[in-house]
Amino acid sequence: MRWRLWLLMAPALALLLAIFAAPLLHYLWLSTQAQSVLTGLQPQPIGAQQWLRLWNDGRFWQDTWQTLRFSAASVSLEMLLGLAVALLLNQPLRGRGVLRTISLLPWALPTTVMALGWRWIFNDPYGPISRLLAGLELPAIPFLSNPALTWMATVGADTWKTTPFVALLLLAGLQTIPADLYEAAALEGATPWQTLRRITLPLLTPYLLIALLFRLAQALGVFDLIQVLTGGGPAGSTESLALYAYLNAMRFLDFGYSATLLLGSFAILLILCGAGAVIWRWSLRWQGGLR
Amino acid sequence: MIPPRALRRWALLLIALLGSLSLGLWGLATERVEPVSVLMPAPFADATAELVNAFNRSHPRIALSVTRGPLETEAVSDLAISSLLLGESPYDLLLMDVSWTPKYAAAGWLEPLDRWLGPDALSDLAPGAELGNAFSGQLWRFPLVADMGLLYWRTDLMDAPPRTPAELVAISRRLQREGRVPWGYVWQGKQYEGLSCVVLEVLRGFGGHWHVENQPQLDSPAAVAAASWLQDLVRQGITPEAVANMGEPEALQLFQAGDAAFMRNWPYAWAELNKPDSPLRGKVAFTTMVSEEGQPHAATQGSWGFSLLTGSQHKAAAVEVLRFLTSAEAQKQLNLRWGYTPTRLSVFEDPELRAANPVLADLQQALAAAVLRPLSPVYAQLSDLLYRDVNTVITGDQPAPTAMRELQSNSERLLRSSGGQG
Repeated sequence: MRWRLWLLMAPALALLLAIFAAPLLHYLWLSTQAQSVLTGLQPQPIGAQQWLRLWNDGRFWQDTWQTLRFSAASVSLEMLLGLAVALLLNQPLRGRGVLRTISLLPWALPTTVMALGWRWIFNDPYGPISRLLAGLELPAIPFLSNPALTWMATVGADTWKTTPFVALLLLAGLQTIPADLYEAAALEGATPWQTLRRITLPLLTPYLLIALLFRLAQALGVFDLIQVLTGGGPAGSTESLALYAYLNAMRFLDFGYSATLLLGSFAILLILCGAGAVIWRWSLRWQGGLR
Repeated sequence: MIPPRALRRWALLLIALLGSLSLGLWGLATERVEPVSVLMPAPFADATAELVNAFNRSHPRIALSVTRGPLETEAVSDLAISSLLLGESPYDLLLMDVSWTPKYAAAGWLEPLDRWLGPDALSDLAPGAELGNAFSGQLWRFPLVADMGLLYWRTDLMDAPPRTPAELVAISRRLQREGRVPWGYVWQGKQYEGLSCVVLEVLRGFGGHWHVENQPQLDSPAAVAAASWLQDLVRQGITPEAVANMGEPEALQLFQAGDAAFMRNWPYAWAELNKPDSPLRGKVAFTTMVSEEGQPHAATQGSWGFSLLTGSQHKAAAVEVLRFLTSAEAQKQLNLRWGYTPTRLSVFEDPELRAANPVLADLQQALAAAVLRPLSPVYAQLSDLLYRDVNTVITGDQPAPTAMRELQSNSERLLRSSGGQG
């Protein structure tokens, strides 16, 4: 019986292997080679040297920290705001359809276009924010030229763009919750806060998890927004791992190291996901113990 | 036995067939048109459109087509590299920025031009324009238009431009104090290639060098002085803090709005500043970068030129295209109609052009002050190290001596690991 199952799954498995495993294995091989403009783009085996270089590369660790910081900040903001927007759009308001459409607009814009838009909004001294501040006789805020501020500007732009995506996913989840649960809660005299905590959030959990997973995977690989908005600057403060890998491949023509960088960030993603899963299990068990 | 009449009919048919076949083959042989494809950044594709039509009219055996690339320099490189990596590039010629040449040559993508253009190919080039076309003893590129860093100044605010860094600071402060401009000097301070061009000019002006004989010299007293000067410009409020995210368009925008007394930019800004609706029309002039007493007024060389790709199947035809598009006649048209700076001495000295374009002599002078960024296959990395580090100085995150020491040791390590192929 069992072999039949495998047989039926074989085409799907083969496809998965071809799409995911093959490039990964190729990159693993590439990370043991020197293939760059200095070798005339020919691969030359150099063992684990690229990995040593990665380990000693301060810029890799700086970019790792910056990518994690960006992801943590933007994804948590997007989850909170997305939940709020979803709850709002789930209310029986007049003109709800129009509101839902409007709230989706940022998500429909290509990232490059919206990043160019934000670059203008943050422009110092001619952008709208600077003009507004100048009108109030306040000094301009160096959104894109101060390393302490610029990463927040990238988080702001990303949140604006992807909150609708989270809201949409959560709205779909909200609509699967049966209305009679809320009626029962109302009969029992539950406050809105209690209803949210005891009914909405627990039943929404699978959707929250899916949104979280999608957003984390996207945020950890952030590239186009940063490339257009800041180019990784100022002072390298917004450079992400993906941008660094891109520079190595396309600008420096150093394919061996670029592959190592990509695998390195992939490993970090795996470790993060693993840790997240363990913590999730633990917290479930802990909650179970309390009940 | 076949009847003779039928035989004759068959023979006639055969003759007719053979005849038409050979006629067709002959026609194919004479009508064979060689396709030549060129990738150019969008502005150049627009500017050369008329020349391309003229070429196709006068060369019926070659079908020249131009691919209109992106606007931004590095985006063009990304497009070219993606196609070259696939092995069979669809292009025969590539319009290249001067800083790409050694990298592309080392990657084996370029065909040496010496054989095609002859030994005196560069003899007509104006002083400064010959730089950056050859690398490791071979010619890889022929320049189409010259490009060099210029210091723009406002003729309505001062009588003569500053020639030393101290003068630039003094004039700026005076004008700012008098409330005539909010800022003194704008330039390219963003973390990108433009900053490397700015730094090279200031570095030479303070008597320093980026490289001497493949050895970086970036922690020399002159280099630290240059980086400190840039930092002080921001600290003293002569340059706005926003410069740390300024490229060419942002600097031009601020200068053109009349909000600064000086700007560092390329020759294209001249045409923009003198457009009919420009508020600064007729109020601007340019010169070369300021420098300390006895040091050169340097202008970073940033020209564009054609390279022949190794993978081209139509090299002879492509070289013919290259000759045509870089000819004196073509360069003259590009200058008259589009304001591009020529590279040929004969074009600079053309009396008709001199009369039509009063700044041509100034441009020629600036071109003669051209300095090259290091010629190295790992130039992209060297420049990336430089503009990242100097950007931290501009934002005030690092003192200049610390940043330049770090830059020097990083550059040395990079060159060591690349086997001294700097």
